Amino acid sequence: MYNRRNFLKLGALAAAATAGLSGGALTAVHELPIRGGKDFSPKTGKPRAAIPSSCWNCVTRCPSMGYVEDGRLVKIEGHPKSIRSEGVMCAKGQAGINQVYDPDRVLYPMRRVGKRGEGKWKKISWDDALSEIAGRLKKLRDEGRPEKFAFHYGRMKSSSSKLIKSLFLANYGTGTIGNHTSICEGGKWTAQELTWGGHYDNWDFDNTKYVLNFGSNVLEAHTNHIPTAHRLLWAMAERGVKMVTFDVRMSNTAAKSTEWVPVTPGTDLAVVLAMCNVVMSEDLYAGEGEKFLKYCKATNAHDATTGEKISALKIHLAQYTPRWAEKISGVPADKIRSIAREFATTKPACVINYRGSVAHYNGNDTERAIQMLASITGNIDNPGGRCKAVGAKWKYPKGPKNKPKSRKLKIMDGPKGAAALPTHHMSHNALKMIKDGSAGRPDVYMWYCYTPVYANGEVQENIDILKDESLIPFTVCVNPFYDESAALADIILPDATYLERWDYEDMVSPNQVAEYAIRQPLVKPLGESRDFGDVCIELADRMGFPLGVKSKEEFVQKSCDMTPGVKEAGGFEYMKEHGVWHDPDAKPRYFSYKKVVDPSKYQKDGVILDEATGVYWNWKKAKVKSEEEALAKGYAHTKKAYTGYVGQKIGNVVYSGFKPDKVNKSGYMEFYSTIMEEKGFPPLPTWTAIPEHQTMNKGEMILTTYKVAVQIHSRSANCKWLSEIYNDNPAWINPASAETNGIGDGDRIRVKSHIGEIEAIAKVTPCVVPGVIAISHHCGHWEYGRYASGKKAPFADDDPDYAGKWWSGAGTHPNWIIPNAPDPVNGQLRFMDTVVSVTRI
Amino acid sequence: MVEHLNWGLPVIGYLFLAGVGAGALTVSSSVLLRGGGGGFGGRHFKIARYGAFIAPFPIMIGAAMLILELGSFEAGNYLRFLNLFTTINLSPMSIGSWLLMGCLGASLLYAYTFWPDGAEPGDEMEKYRRGLAWVCVPLGISVAVYTGVLLGAMPARPFWNSPVLPMLFLLSAISTGIAVIMLTQTLLHKKSTTEEEHRTHHESGYILTATDLMLICFEVVGIFLFLMFAHLTVGDVKYAVSAILPGGDMASMFWFWVLLVGLVIPGALEMIYVFPRLINHREFAAPAYVEYVVPVAILAGGFMLRYIVVVVGQITGPVGI
Amino acid sequence: MVIETRRCSGCQACSVACKAEFDVPLGHTRSWVETIEKGNYPAVSVNFLPRLCNHCRHPACVDVCPTGATFKRSADGIVDIDPDVCIGCKYCLLACPYDARFINPLTGSADKCSFCLHRISQGVEPSCVNTCPGKARIFGDVNDPKSEISRVLATNPVSVLRPGMGTEPQVYYIAADNYDEHFRERGWHVNVATHRRQKERR
Ligand SMILES: Nc1nc2c(c(=O)[nH]1)N[C@H]1C(S)=C(S)[C@@H](COP(=O)(O)OP(=O)(O)OC[C@H]3O[C@@H](n4cnc5c(=O)[nH]c(N)nc54)[C@H](O)[C@@H]3O)O[C@H]1N2
Ligand SMILES: Nc1nc2c(c(=O)[nH]1)N[C@H]1C(S)=C(S)[C@@H](COP(=O)(O)OP(=O)(O)OC[C@H]3O[C@@H](n4cnc5c(=O)[nH]c(N)nc54)[C@H](O)[C@@H]3O)O[C@H]1N2
Ligand code: SF4
Ligand code: SF4
Ligand code: SF4
Ligand code: SF4
Ligand code: SF4
Ligand SMILES: [Mo]
Repeated sequence: MYNRRNFLKLGALAAAATAGLSGGALTAVHELPIRGGKDFSPKTGKPRAAIPSSCWNCVTRCPSMGYVEDGRLVKIEGHPKSIRSEGVMCAKGQAGINQVYDPDRVLYPMRRVGKRGEGKWKKISWDDALSEIAGRLKKLRDEGRPEKFAFHYGRMKSSSSKLIKSLFLANYGTGTIGNHTSICEGGKWTAQELTWGGHYDNWDFDNTKYVLNFGSNVLEAHTNHIPTAHRLLWAMAERGVKMVTFDVRMSNTAAKSTEWVPVTPGTDLAVVLAMCNVVMSEDLYAGEGEKFLKYCKATNAHDATTGEKISALKIHLAQYTPRWAEKISGVPADKIRSIAREFATTKPACVINYRGSVAHYNGNDTERAIQMLASITGNIDNPGGRCKAVGAKWKYPKGPKNKPKSRKLKIMDGPKGAAALPTHHMSHNALKMIKDGSAGRPDVYMWYCYTPVYANGEVQENIDILKDESLIPFTVCVNPFYDESAALADIILPDATYLERWDYEDMVSPNQVAEYAIRQPLVKPLGESRDFGDVCIELADRMGFPLGVKSKEEFVQKSCDMTPGVKEAGGFEYMKEHGVWHDPDAKPRYFSYKKVVDPSKYQKDGVILDEATGVYWNWKKAKVKSEEEALAKGYAHTKKAYTGYVGQKIGNVVYSGFKPDKVNKSGYMEFYSTIMEEKGFPPLPTWTAIPEHQTMNKGEMILTTYKVAVQIHSRSANCKWLSEIYNDNPAWINPASAETNGIGDGDRIRVKSHIGEIEAIAKVTPCVVPGVIAISHHCGHWEYGRYASGKKAPFADDDPDYAGKWWSGAGTHPNWIIPNAPDPVNGQLRFMDTVVSVTRI
Repeated sequence: MVEHLNWGLPVIGYLFLAGVGAGALTVSSSVLLRGGGGGFGGRHFKIARYGAFIAPFPIMIGAAMLILELGSFEAGNYLRFLNLFTTINLSPMSIGSWLLMGCLGASLLYAYTFWPDGAEPGDEMEKYRRGLAWVCVPLGISVAVYTGVLLGAMPARPFWNSPVLPMLFLLSAISTGIAVIMLTQTLLHKKSTTEEEHRTHHESGYILTATDLMLICFEVVGIFLFLMFAHLTVGDVKYAVSAILPGGDMASMFWFWVLLVGLVIPGALEMIYVFPRLINHREFAAPAYVEYVVPVAILAGGFMLRYIVVVVGQITGPVGI
Repeated sequence: MVIETRRCSGCQACSVACKAEFDVPLGHTRSWVETIEKGNYPAVSVNFLPRLCNHCRHPACVDVCPTGATFKRSADGIVDIDPDVCIGCKYCLLACPYDARFINPLTGSADKCSFCLHRISQGVEPSCVNTCPGKARIFGDVNDPKSEISRVLATNPVSVLRPGMGTEPQVYYIAADNYDEHFRERGWHVNVATHRRQKERR
């Protein structure tokens, strides 16, 4: 009775008839639109002011383009001219706007009234705040106890790091400085320092033909996320690049991979060793791998022949057969074999890995073994392989000449013997150490871009310690937001958000060509908030050691005007206008280790050859008294000798080799590490099981934690656009495990480790390995404002959009039950090792 | 679930009330025109009069509820709904709104013709009354039908996308229309003084009840067809209708309210009293309680029919993507 | 627009780009991404399906709009809404087979993806396209045989969503996974999730 067809016709007629009503321009869309760089108001059609800057929502720091309408920041896009991000941007970067206008933002200096952590606050003036802080700090400094000022930072990079650490803290004189690296990827860095020196591996997706992934969630997370992720997606789509991902759950990265290989937590090392075994036993190293072995150290002799290295490796790896690895990792031997062969015979191929394979008891050797796998297949620092990162090299105003000798409390490296080589510290034990007291306690504990109670394990203990005024008399939090830790401060200094700050940036380039970028304010800092860099400059003035710059802006301006390349391009003015610069003639940097060192460099005064290692080093740079002493002690056993490294003698040629950093390793790519040996660990990458996984009772599970594409740590939960998408984190459990523990999908469960318990909702899904319970990071906030926890900050503003908040829960935070246990070698917090029992409530 | 409803109680109420009004109007004017018992109302003039007076109100109230539900109204643009009348196109809602306006206008005029206290068959208003009646019947019917078409117009809503729906709504509309008239008649009917009046009262009752019984039978058939068609098709519609078939989200509601309360009970009661009169010409005399129970049940059923149809239509949709 | 799901990593950058571009109020979405999780361990796959208004050639929303507030632009076929004419009757919300529409609480009018008319009419690509890390979204003029999008359409197997609705969508998909929870009967674990307020696919 009802004929759609002619109804449609007439419907179209009606449309045509009313088309005149259209407000928008009727110009048809023809030629392909241009890529970004411009934006317009959907209401008025007027252009929005475009300002180049840099993102900072995650550590990647992509160049960005901010759009401002009537003085309000309304949109952020990728910088169309960036060679790193190539104009694309992730969800998090775009939601930065929400941080500027977070209704729960701290806009004025606050002093607590009532007990610490009680949540009662009083607005104070900057002058009051700074005179109190400067007063206390100056007193310590004048009394010669600068180390009593403990400074703990999370993400503090490039210009901020230089100004705050290299200038302010250095001239103040405290060495009691903590970071978040040991809860992040410090373990990976240490292991890289042991193998190829300075850290950061770049994955050359533009040129690779095959990607083998151990526990990197590169498409959702990763330290150089967007610049690498988009390249990987393009490589897979356009060049049909294959990717095999080992993960304990189906991450989005695993989802996009050609194959997801489920693996038992903490057993990647076994798989990698078995793959090395296949490569060596089947002579798949022949060719590229064999050639590269020339630059590797595989025995304790620094001058071993390639043949000797090969047999040494074959002997060491013989025990690690695929069969053996199958028993440990649950990965079928045949799969290990076929993947190893495919990886070894596809050239170039890139092996990638991140916290999934590193944040474990055996993480250090997993990283070393992966370096070895890449090496014996000839995929190190080559086009399409695992490359030594290239980043911008900024010059900056160094400040006062004569810095005081810094003093420090030994609270940042954990208790004696906890970690043998914590080259990036063990700051997750800082509060524990303060409680313990044996290494002394700070009078002032200040933290910046960091949330000690949320980010580390053992949340409850850290809360208790930070709350205890008898342990830490005075706490200062520098933060634009009211997070779980700010709630425990005595004074909160309102920092400007990254969209209101000046910085220069230097993050790794995915294409081996350095990119220089700056960050400039898109809007003026709201309220009375101030860039902490500027605050440090004022504090230094107040304490009488001016840093030589009037503001962070001036610091950045001078840096631009003194940095080669940027300077010629037009310096500060150019950077303000364009945001990014790279040398148009620069060639991608590969094979840096092959560079032959010019004799003039190692034949000059002060440079000596260390017979034991074949290293040429400058003992003067290493601050040794005399050449005799240098020769007597030797390169390996002279403190900070690596700072004098000049080159590595291989045969009778001196190569720049793999320049050491933090430890006195040779210029070789070291699989055989004398440093490890002397610390009492096996010199070659060797299988070690995760102790607590060997003694698990039936039904017990391994807790894993991970990141998702739309949140950054704890910091982004106040971004309403992100929390609207991700506000809940049910615990993933495989149907098999769910059955053994009598758990159904959607059940409330109790997850219990030896340090505590949390409640969660079970998500029964085949996307996780049996025996593993996966609870994401980011959720379970109990502060941090209405969009994160549903709880407004004590000094909150309002936001009409809040009426539309439709989600109620805040999810769960796993760190309450994750112990602050370190990797015994490098001190990295073992986030992925915790054994738990799971029961239905 | 409710959070997903774009059309909630106001629209449901509107669909129901518009139906009742249109029904009452149709019944009133057709009784007037073909009421038997001496033409143009004749003995049943009273029914026609009740119907005429009642009809405009549900329509107006319904329309008002509809406007309150409009997004523009909620956002504070109280007059934007007038845009409905700045164009006319083939949108069922556009046509419907114009029809509704026409129907409302006509019903008001029609009601006015019954206004004077002495209003009776053959008075000076007669010709207007009659003329309007001729207009009101088609208008009433089309409004009743359109409430079904409004929903039926969308392939995206498989549950509604059935030719049977408009018919069902029409039948239900008239039946509920009759129900309100019955109810008013019963409410307003004082102990009849004369034997004559008494009989007229029962006669009118009989006419209404008998017609209604017939409608109810049609409705049962309609519902049967609706379910059968849906069940025999595959894909979207089949999935959608399963919501009211045993095991479905709203099955129990549907079978209890729409079928039992709305059709079976009143139908049964009506039979008890209609058949004697019909078959062996006994005097039609339904006890008072029946005169209350029957119309109330029918109205309840009519409302629940709209409610369930509107809700199920929204919680079901196309299958797959 | 063409959406090449093989290039989509479910990163939600498009969702947020769109949210920001139009400051879409919480609880409403012009652009969203569905996650389709299926299979039994260890044979599992997760696929992503970015969604937006299809700017249908036969737009059901236009058919039912009583005011003409929703209309199809004759110039380029984009289905647009005039918020000043729209009365918010929600008819189009129900008529759209893709749940692409919502009532914007600020204007009281129907709202949905506009293909970023305000950008493309000035020669700039849509916001979601601009930001997409996978370059999974290809936008252009399908009537221009020289355009990139025409090339992609011509050289790939493409599909549209819910073709049975007779709307003839103008958003084409490459390798879209149209598996649905209704297929659970086949004994597989299937879970289709969106991060919109209305969690399940509609
Ligand atoms: N979206 C987003 N991006 C980010 C961040 C963020 O917070 N959010 N943070 C940035 C920072 S600071 C860092 S350090 C990087 C971290 O980047 P990643 O290390 O890549 O990310 P994670 O989620 O920490 O861990 C990666 C994966 O390890 C898996 N995994 C857990 N245990 C094991 C195991 O035993 N074996 C294997 N093979 N896999 C395992 C987890 O399931 C997870 O998918 O991301 C950076 N980028
Ligand atoms: N369960 C679990 N825990 C983890 C991880 C995990 O994957 N799972 N990941 C670990 C990793 S890799 C890392 S790097 C750490 C990160 O640990 P953190 O660096 O401590 O965490 P963030 O959330 O990045 O930032 C901390 C605080 O900085 C504040 N902040 C945000 N913006 C600014 C600003 O502009 N200025 C200032 N002064 N402060 C600001 C916010 O209040 C935020 O709470 O977390 C670790 N913790
Ligand atoms: S990857 Fe990190 S830095 Fe880059 S846009 Fe996303 S959040 Fe910002
Ligand atoms: S932005 Fe691109 S890759 Fe990310 S979810 Fe959207 S369509 Fe997929
Ligand atoms: S997708 Fe829905 S809203 Fe968009 S044009 Fe088609 S019918 Fe209309
Ligand atoms: S809500 Fe607006 S656009 Fe949609 S049908 Fe009603 S008037 Fe038309
Ligand atoms: S085209 Fe524009 S409006 Fe449409 S989804 Fe993309 S960003 Fe949103
Ligand atoms: Mo990190």
